[in-house]
Amino acid sequence: MAVLECKELTKRYGAAQALNHVNLQIEPGRIVGLLGPNGSGKTTLIKLANGLLTPTEGEILVCGNVPGRESHACVSYLPERTAIPTWMSAAQLMDFYGDFYQDFRRDAAEEMLKRLEISPRQRIKQMSKGTREKVQLIMVMSRAAQLYLLDEPIGGVDPATRDYILSTIITNYNPEAAVIISTHLISDVEKVLDDVIFINQGQVVLQSSVDQIREEKGMSVDALFREVFKC
Amino acid sequence: MKWEFSNDAPIYAQLILQIKVGIVSGTFSPGERLPSVRDLAMEAGVNPNTMQRALTELERDGLVYSQRTAGRFVTEDQSMIDTAKRGLAERHIQDFLAAMGQLGYEREEIVALLRQETGKEGITDGGAGM
Amino acid sequence: MLRKLLKHEFRATARIMVPVYLVLLVTALGANFSTRGILKTPYAVLNILGSLLVMAFVVAIMAVCVVSFLLMIQRFYKNLLRDEGYLMLTLPASIHQQVWSKLIVSSVWFIITGVVVMLSFVMMALDVSFLEGMVQVLQQLFQDITAYYAINGTVFLLELLVLAFAGSIAFCLQFYAALAIGHSFSNHKFAWSVAFFFILQFASQLVGSLLLLSLNTSLINSLLGSLDFRVSGMTAIHIGMGILIAVCVVYSAVFYVITTYFLKKHLNLE
Repeated sequence: MAVLECKELTKRYGAAQALNHVNLQIEPGRIVGLLGPNGSGKTTLIKLANGLLTPTEGEILVCGNVPGRESHACVSYLPERTAIPTWMSAAQLMDFYGDFYQDFRRDAAEEMLKRLEISPRQRIKQMSKGTREKVQLIMVMSRAAQLYLLDEPIGGVDPATRDYILSTIITNYNPEAAVIISTHLISDVEKVLDDVIFINQGQVVLQSSVDQIREEKGMSVDALFREVFKC
Repeated sequence: MKWEFSNDAPIYAQLILQIKVGIVSGTFSPGERLPSVRDLAMEAGVNPNTMQRALTELERDGLVYSQRTAGRFVTEDQSMIDTAKRGLAERHIQDFLAAMGQLGYEREEIVALLRQETGKEGITDGGAGM
Repeated sequence: MLRKLLKHEFRATARIMVPVYLVLLVTALGANFSTRGILKTPYAVLNILGSLLVMAFVVAIMAVCVVSFLLMIQRFYKNLLRDEGYLMLTLPASIHQQVWSKLIVSSVWFIITGVVVMLSFVMMALDVSFLEGMVQVLQQLFQDITAYYAINGTVFLLELLVLAFAGSIAFCLQFYAALAIGHSFSNHKFAWSVAFFFILQFASQLVGSLLLLSLNTSLINSLLGSLDFRVSGMTAIHIGMGILIAVCVVYSAVFYVITTYFLKKHLNLE
């Protein structure tokens, strides 16, 4: 069964068309790159999957459900901004996740924090921006979810942090789960992706596997992206 | 082991090549147990599914074999490793010849140049490295 | 899930409210010392200090009320409609549970604030004889009410508590509804929220007065006129409380529907 399914999914903000009749199916066990220039509809799609927006037309199903409390339990979502309450300490944040999500693996989270030498007693407020993002990612990847929706996980961080984030995603994701990574930094994520979806002006323009693109076109996904989205 | 990827070939194919080189050059010695797919994938910074695919193909070629519970091992069959080594060498020579051909060299000229160069560097034998 | 939301909501708010209450109680003690000692001394410096202590107490009372009010708004706004909303609104909880957790926790703090303010007055005037006197007065009052109006004191108290709770829920919801509507816009979300607060106030007052007018002229009058019933003091007060509670509930229900509708269907986080 597909963990994410869009049928003729459309979202308009007033007159502006953010998504235009998108049809998609994401199967478990795949790491999928949702690639597109800024403003192409990536974040809108992810917000719709999280129930933070309501479709104008069409349907989106997550783990077989319309987004809501049932689907939230099976999705682990990394927003493009820091959403964790900054007054909490890392330990309080783990209490919070543990209380609300049955699939939260506290031992995994503690282990990762320890490796980064982040004290559980330190408050989020006192952490640097990069550390906050790492803590948020650790919480998200410490869940044994069925679908991980990662919105721009590597935007705005230094290359070392980027590597850390990508390796954390690879090591922690559940092989029966699907991971969707939205980004415009393609060369950095290309190696970790199974499939890519190119999205532009609210429409899916290409859905393929990374190996297939390299085999058939003889070029990297990054190069293909530059060709498809040439200005 | 250091992993590097170029942009023109599928990543699984590049993984196969690099693991082969690892086996031929002795980074992975015959009969040695390979790290798990997940560990290898993390080390190379690639998707575990891609690493799985590469290992499956290597297994089909016979360079590695898996034992149901114990994991994956490098073959102990030295002739198989030698064949792989020969295959890799041929690839390099093909590439080299193609590049030289593009520069306009004839076969004899290439051989002469090669002899001159290798003589200069004092490489006589045992140059199994890459 | 509501239980867990409540737990974390209390945790997030207690860290603000508890220290504020402590400050209030300390200033109440200060004011107590000052009125019973310092102000009576002949030294000007001590007199100034004494009046400052009394002033601090007054300021603290206002501060406690303002903080509990602002915290009610801030928790809804910051926790659900700003960045933290990305986390809170994707928890496996429904919008109803989210709104109720905020409502219950805010109302509980309002009621505790009322109790603590009263307590602080007691502490300020704390004097064994005074306390005895106050207990007596209260007892007397209670007995008198029961005897004179034949009101069941306990029921009345209970009704008062329900009214306080319903009233504070209605109070919160009018702000929540305005914020929820305002934040469905793409820009100037807060300005829209303020605008909608006044629009909603105006609309509800309009509807309220229209209702009163129509009731006055038609239905109730004829109903009351035709019915010959004598209302004792007790029943009158119970009926009055019942009507007040009912008005709060209806008022709340309207704003609750608006709030949850906009959070569900027109959420538009920045």
